[in-house]
Amino acid sequence: MRRLKVFGSLVKDSLDVITHGSKKYHIWMAFLTFVMLVGMYCYSVQLEHGLSVTGMTDRVSWGLYISNFTFLVGVAAAAVMLVMPTYVLKDIDFKQAVLIGEGIAVAALIMCLAFVIADMGGPSVLWHMIPGIGVFNFPNSMLTWDVLVLNGYLFLNISIPFYILFKHYQGKKSNSKVYIPGALLSVFWAVGIHLVTAFLYQGLQARPFWNNALLGPRFLASAFAAGPALIILVLAIIRTFTVFKIKNKTLKKIAMVVTVAAQINLIMLASELFKEFYAPTHHSESAYYLFFGLDGKTALLPWIWTSISLNVLATVTLTFHKLRNNSKVLYFACFILFVAIWIEKGFGLIVPGFIPGPYGKIVEYTPTGIEIGVTLGIWALGAFVFTMLAKTAIKIETGALRYRKKES
Amino acid sequence: MGDSTKKWFSLNLGNSNTKPSGSCGCGNPSGGCGSHNSENADVNAIGEERHKDGFEQVFDVKMDRRSAFKKLTASLMVGAGAVTTSCSVIVGEETKEKAQIDWEEQFKGNYKLMSDEEKNGTVDRLVRSYQLRTGKTISLSSKNAEEDVLFGYAFNISKCQGYMDCVTACVEENNQDRSSQMEYIRIHEMKDGKGFNFNEADDNYYHEVPAEGHFYMGTQCFHCDNPPCVEVCPVQATWREDDGLVVVDYDWCVGCRYCMAACPYDGRRFNWSTPEVPEEEVNKNQHYLGNRMRKKGVVEKCTFCVQRSRAGKNPACVEACPTGARIFGNLLDPDSTIRWVLENKKVFRLKEDLGTEPKFWYFMD
Amino acid sequence: MKDKYHILYTLSGLFLVASFFSSCKHQEHEYHSITDKIEAESKNYQGTSISSEDFIGDIKTLEISEGAHTFLIPERKSQIKSYACTECHSKSLAQMQNGNEAKKAHWDLRLNHADANTMNCVTCHDGSSMDNLTSLTGNTLGFNHSYQLCAQCHTSQFDDWKGGAHGKKIASWAPPRASMTCVNCHNPHNPGFKSRWPARFNTQTEKERR
Repeated sequence: MRRLKVFGSLVKDSLDVITHGSKKYHIWMAFLTFVMLVGMYCYSVQLEHGLSVTGMTDRVSWGLYISNFTFLVGVAAAAVMLVMPTYVLKDIDFKQAVLIGEGIAVAALIMCLAFVIADMGGPSVLWHMIPGIGVFNFPNSMLTWDVLVLNGYLFLNISIPFYILFKHYQGKKSNSKVYIPGALLSVFWAVGIHLVTAFLYQGLQARPFWNNALLGPRFLASAFAAGPALIILVLAIIRTFTVFKIKNKTLKKIAMVVTVAAQINLIMLASELFKEFYAPTHHSESAYYLFFGLDGKTALLPWIWTSISLNVLATVTLTFHKLRNNSKVLYFACFILFVAIWIEKGFGLIVPGFIPGPYGKIVEYTPTGIEIGVTLGIWALGAFVFTMLAKTAIKIETGALRYRKKES
Repeated sequence: MGDSTKKWFSLNLGNSNTKPSGSCGCGNPSGGCGSHNSENADVNAIGEERHKDGFEQVFDVKMDRRSAFKKLTASLMVGAGAVTTSCSVIVGEETKEKAQIDWEEQFKGNYKLMSDEEKNGTVDRLVRSYQLRTGKTISLSSKNAEEDVLFGYAFNISKCQGYMDCVTACVEENNQDRSSQMEYIRIHEMKDGKGFNFNEADDNYYHEVPAEGHFYMGTQCFHCDNPPCVEVCPVQATWREDDGLVVVDYDWCVGCRYCMAACPYDGRRFNWSTPEVPEEEVNKNQHYLGNRMRKKGVVEKCTFCVQRSRAGKNPACVEACPTGARIFGNLLDPDSTIRWVLENKKVFRLKEDLGTEPKFWYFMD
Repeated sequence: MKDKYHILYTLSGLFLVASFFSSCKHQEHEYHSITDKIEAESKNYQGTSISSEDFIGDIKTLEISEGAHTFLIPERKSQIKSYACTECHSKSLAQMQNGNEAKKAHWDLRLNHADANTMNCVTCHDGSSMDNLTSLTGNTLGFNHSYQLCAQCHTSQFDDWKGGAHGKKIASWAPPRASMTCVNCHNPHNPGFKSRWPARFNTQTEKERR
């Protein structure tokens, strides 16, 4: 009973927290709301006319939505890179960052689910996928695995920080015996969500571009580069705009994680390129299309070469201690790395899987305005959710928000 | 799966009495509630709600179900529309019936898991719904797979002349979307001496055929015996029937298009917008799993014309082919012509190395 | 330390459960290949309730037996516009050609079938009995069995046709088998297929691929 009361008070207090703030905060939230509204309008157009308002066709049947979904699963999985050192290896340097990391994971997962729903042809019959009510094709369909692991991960990433914050809100210490098993599970789970998402593509014998054993590991490497890179940027922003203290040491450790992951990612890229181009077979055509164009169709060339050059530049920059320890350079490197991997995991992975088609036909894919609108709307939703979560968490962690017994 | 009687979420949350056909809250498997009173006479004793008139039944149904489906917001939006219409006192009997049918169709189960009565129930509803909307009557079949039948197909590359009569017949037979010019069949014009080089083939030619130095090869859904599209479907909206046909329940499909990504043969098509077929061109001889009208956002495909083949006829493409390049038949019948082709001609299939086991063979004279 | 082992056990247990589930996946495939499946399942083939008879409809058929194959083909005589030929051709061909009042009949028929060294009208038509056809050795054949005439040269096509690889079936895949005969698709005087424009062109596909 008492817990319920505390919970009610927490909800009320956090509502109070997220509706009050500086002018900049309000402008930021208003901007996000506006973008979300635009996205919702675009989605309503899509609901009305069907997916024909997107650039997708029977040939390229997945596009921007699934690209972003794939990328964001990686971002969500990257929270593990902060969770493991903090909770499992007891590295206190990460302690400050881990709640933010988990907040990013929650926001990324919500965006993932939103992207999947936006991509559905029949969102009104999505209940067919709910186990018990509908028919859940488990374990045959990797998509059902993905639904399970994403929702499970979302639950883990909500419940662990919630438990800790809930305790801190009451001014108590959190009991590590309660959350350590969850944290440990979430470490495996994070690897799981990204591997399962990779298996979604990897398991299709119809698409040789995806059907290679390196896809899963490469997903992980790129995720552990892009995700923590985003966390560094977010922490930098939080450090500037709030009283939340994040030590330079923390950022440096996360930067180390980003660096190693980016290096491994590049090695795997090299291995993939070698396999595709040293002895090109019929199955290398998608790679040819991606990197050099096929039959004069070159829509992806600017994207992938931008991505590769940014990727290499960022990795090289991060590799040198001197450059990495300069925070301005670090932020820039993280930003370009994030963009590079977004292109690589999005456009660079999903679209060429469909090109050329099973019978060698090339239909190029360009997202339409509606599609981009929905995508931006979902990103805004993610940022919105994260801002709310982070604001409350920071207030509690800095001790500004505490439960007060109203009776006394 | 077989141990539980509840194969999907049952709609009769309010009524504990389970009628065998009861996919509908008012206990009426077909059509609206008001129009079948005579049929209901003998079941009236079971529950008092049978005595209520159509309006009240619909109203009760709404209360029961609304509480049950609170979480299914998206579905509710559609459903709520139906309920508001059905609750309005001013609207006519037909509108109410339409709303009732829409409601039941929205929340019906997966066709694959339905009993025969349930199949008949949904088929009756769909026929009635079409009648209410267009004033026309269709014949909609729910015929199951026949015992001792496994459909197979053979395509004679030497014979095909590239006329594309099969494509036209297929589009007309299967009520495919005219506005996006959806076609299940592709005829690839291949250069002689290049082997089966699909990359250099043209599947959208328009010149006098057969063109000098070319041969023609048709592709469509191959109805694999080990279909990757079926494996990946998250909701089992597509499956292989006992007679080998790989079919889609258009009402169960959620439109994720995973099956399209998984198909190595370009066998599947998606309704990117609401399919349009001029009323006078609609083929009214339909099957639930075949050429009945589709909606936007669902995947569809060749079914070897299930509405024809299950009845005993050849698929439309086989019938339309002027050259006899297309052979269709029962693989389990040792005396069938398809068996003779498999046993006596040099047959091959596309991408056999993928292990999909297509039931569509190519051969040459 | 003990805690860690416990967690490890739980995790490996979870993996076991997962692998158990996934190993069920391929249970339904009892056969190594589709050909094995066809062979095994057709061993006790009982026949189906579906019959082609409903679909043959008004087409008059006759049963023929060629080698191991027995099947129906459409009856031909009633389909020929001016059968019997003897209604006009009351005299034998030799007599008609001799007469001065020779009428130009069948002026639209031009034989486009093999070359002049191989074939002319009387290669198939029986000059002395116009209601019948004649084999190369002079045996009389009825119009209903004209396929035997074709089979004299086109032996491989004949084999394929008997088996079912060449030609079309009438309406239905189901037994009893009813196949079209040669002249249902090929004009015997001009048997080749004409070149023509395809039935359709997909402008939407063209747009997509631009």
